[in-house]
Amino acid sequence: MNALRSLPARTFIAAAVFVAIVATGLIGPIAASAGPEELLGTAFTAPGADFLLGTDHLGRSVGVQLVHGVRTSLYIGLLAGGIGTLIGVAVGTLAGYLGRLADEVLMGLTNIMITIPSIIVLLLLSISLDTRSVTVLGLCIGAVSWPWTARAVRAQIASLREREHVDIARLSGERTWRIIGVELLPYMLSYIVMAFVIQLYGAILAEAALSLLGLGPTGTTSLGVMLHWAIAWESIRGGQWWVFGAPTVLITAITFSLLLVQSSLDSVFNPRLRGRKETA
Amino acid sequence: MAFLRHLLRKLGWYAAAFAAALGLNFFLPRMLPGNPVDTLVAASLGRGASSESKQRVYETYIHEFGLDQGLWEQFATYVGNVMRGDFGTSFSRYPADVSTMVADTLPWTILLQVPAVALGWIIGNLIGAVAAYRRGGFDRGVYLTSLFLSAAPYYCLAVLLLYGLAVALPLFPTGGGWSFGMRPEWSAAFAADALSHWFLPFLSLLLVFIGGQAIGMRSMAVYEIDADYVGFARSFDLPDRKIVAYIFRNGMLPQITGLALAIGTLVAGALLTEIVFSYPGIGTLLYDAILNKDYPVIQAVTLLVLIAVLAANFFVDVLYGLIDPRIRAAEKGER
Amino acid sequence: MTLATIRDLRAHYATAERRYHALDGAELAVEPGRILGIVGESGCGKSTLASVLSLNPKPALRVDSGTMSIAGTEIDLADIESHRSLRGGTVALLPQGALGALNPTRRIGAAAHDILAAGPGRIKRSASAARTAARLEELDLPPRVLDAYPHQLSGGMRQRVVAALATLRDPRLLVADEPSSALDVSSQRLLMNLLRRLVDEELVEGIVLITHDVALLSELADRIAVMYAGRVVEQAPARTLVERPRHPYSKALFASVLVPEPGTRERRLDGIPGSPPDLRAREPGCAFAPRCAEATEQCRARRPALIETGPAAAACWLRDPAKEPADAR
Repeated sequence: MNALRSLPARTFIAAAVFVAIVATGLIGPIAASAGPEELLGTAFTAPGADFLLGTDHLGRSVGVQLVHGVRTSLYIGLLAGGIGTLIGVAVGTLAGYLGRLADEVLMGLTNIMITIPSIIVLLLLSISLDTRSVTVLGLCIGAVSWPWTARAVRAQIASLREREHVDIARLSGERTWRIIGVELLPYMLSYIVMAFVIQLYGAILAEAALSLLGLGPTGTTSLGVMLHWAIAWESIRGGQWWVFGAPTVLITAITFSLLLVQSSLDSVFNPRLRGRKETA
Repeated sequence: MAFLRHLLRKLGWYAAAFAAALGLNFFLPRMLPGNPVDTLVAASLGRGASSESKQRVYETYIHEFGLDQGLWEQFATYVGNVMRGDFGTSFSRYPADVSTMVADTLPWTILLQVPAVALGWIIGNLIGAVAAYRRGGFDRGVYLTSLFLSAAPYYCLAVLLLYGLAVALPLFPTGGGWSFGMRPEWSAAFAADALSHWFLPFLSLLLVFIGGQAIGMRSMAVYEIDADYVGFARSFDLPDRKIVAYIFRNGMLPQITGLALAIGTLVAGALLTEIVFSYPGIGTLLYDAILNKDYPVIQAVTLLVLIAVLAANFFVDVLYGLIDPRIRAAEKGER
Repeated sequence: MTLATIRDLRAHYATAERRYHALDGAELAVEPGRILGIVGESGCGKSTLASVLSLNPKPALRVDSGTMSIAGTEIDLADIESHRSLRGGTVALLPQGALGALNPTRRIGAAAHDILAAGPGRIKRSASAARTAARLEELDLPPRVLDAYPHQLSGGMRQRVVAALATLRDPRLLVADEPSSALDVSSQRLLMNLLRRLVDEELVEGIVLITHDVALLSELADRIAVMYAGRVVEQAPARTLVERPRHPYSKALFASVLVPEPGTRERRLDGIPGSPPDLRAREPGCAFAPRCAEATEQCRARRPALIETGPAAAACWLRDPAKEPADAR
């Protein structure tokens, strides 16, 4: 694809960083010799020969926790991002294509959901759940994160449905779901991919924020949970940089690389930006 | 009159959102199976409380929640209490009044967030407009830095700043609202001390916010720069700062809408920043409440945040109508 | 006595790989009290010329050489930056489209003050308001326009406001860059009257009107210069050029002007066979030769100079004045 070649080098660096992190989450837990909850050494051992990334307040290996944490965070991100994208595309497509009352109702709901910060809803949901498995948490995040996507998709669909080929399909008596599936969604594919990247980014951040508040997944670790304990056990003020540094750097690396990739994709796919280049 | 009608319609809209917020706040935690008070009291007083005090606490909450009534009556009781500013009694600091706890911490949060948001908005938008106008290396630098600042979650930057400027280089206090041994009072010594504690969390919020705004403004301004009015202004050799001001003013309008939509995320992120610095505001109150399973406090804070976000949104809506002459004109019915 | 003379103007746009020679030795003269029209296909360099003449070249443009002498001042166009201060005061731009040219969030009075304040010396708000009101009145606009935002004005009023602002600092030369392109027929009529008025009432001393609209030009301009591939290939009094164009390109360009048929304007320029010149490569011969039905070996080998014959001038080997009877005028 020609457009890909015009992307700045940082896009590929960012994509490579993200792929490397994903690989860490996939391979790391298998390669690690111990579980994330195992007490392996004395508390707050600095990085060295025994522990590449040191140990935390209980003497658990930070490195082992990190690879498991990356896996958890990515899993929740993918699950929640997938669900959020799915609901968002469904709601946005229905509202944009059906119009009228359905549009009013769905977008009214969407706008209310956008105004109410999703982290608060998540917080209220989480305190009412006694055990929060990784999957339940992912489902919850996905269930509250769709409004932005719904809004954006609706705008796109509303303009797409005015196109001639959609009119022809409608006049020739095609069923609604077929028109949506054949005439509308294929044109939205690149857009949906970008929406998913943003959802993934948002979901990883939401998980980290919840975990930081102490409402993270129970029975496992994640990047947010690591940060939560690091703060609760005062590792920042104690100067144990490896304990808080590892999850901080990884969360930042994941989000920064995703945002970079997304902004570059945007410049390729966004018809407004692209149009500008061509006419210039 | 049209402006008033517009305002009323908006008010109706926010009333609906407020009702939804109240409903969520009330019903979501009650999705717990069984009697909530049983679970709550067991959870909060589980270890080593005498059965007598347990009984006392239990009765307080049965009464407060109105558990002898049906769910909708309970909701009515809840709404009534909230309207009177009564958020019930804290679990963890029984019998402290939740409203008092919130009232004690709220000023700290306001002092932290309002200046950071206001200043960050102005600086961020200016930087964004200048970057788009200047283009080239300055623009690329601003873009990447801003992208980084807005990509890193609030608390990650806070963690790095706290470690860098308070621990590794001990320039600032390592957290809290004031030094050990001082008590909040109206004196110059306390104000100076509080200010030194305030600065790092403030800086952390400011930087993140500048980043987000600069990115938004830059992408708006990139379009504005190609606008004909900029070319016309250039044809008179108008000074650069004047042209940037033109671009700023026009790019600002969509940025205000952006601000309205982002306020929820912003407030939530700022609360998380407080936790990192143990800053004595609403965020730290919420954090402690979650650790102690102090549900009345959690619910009071979440409701407060929801109301604040709605109010801020409404404020921005009105502001937008005041600033954009095009909108104002439409509302006055001129063309 | 000419108002402004432009000599040997050469400029290019540079991309990473190539150079596009947008102006390749353009020559022009504007007479006082006259409207000089410049016409050509898109890509012939006329909008680049407009940006250079208004001393506000597009960011990617590099001016290689050229001088403009205007009202006794000699401007080295290769060093436009040091003549920035002449913008708005000596030469002014009348931009394309009146709505977009006005800052939507600034009142007309404030925008006018910005323009006057950018000139030499300090000016008070009250003084600039008085000056602007006077100029508005000359264009039949009421003083309340000062307090209006652009969207509160009608299309015709906006057009006059833009003209009032453009002439606010009493420029000698006004460069009108495709002023009619976005207008409907009746607004075009208003604009033509307005331009004529600016000259007749001596709000400016001369106008360079750049357009692709041959019909508009033949009615409005006093003289017309035809541009092709960054050069002026023919220049003559408007009537002469419309009725008896001499350069084969001008002939093609003006051929259908007198056939008022719907759609002709669009078809007219595309009606010339062949494609517009490639500005990347500079052939040694006449740039129009590849599309010219009459081209000879000489046309392809050497570039013809712009040769004056009385008030007219053409750059074409086939119209060598030595071989042709001189124009009566």
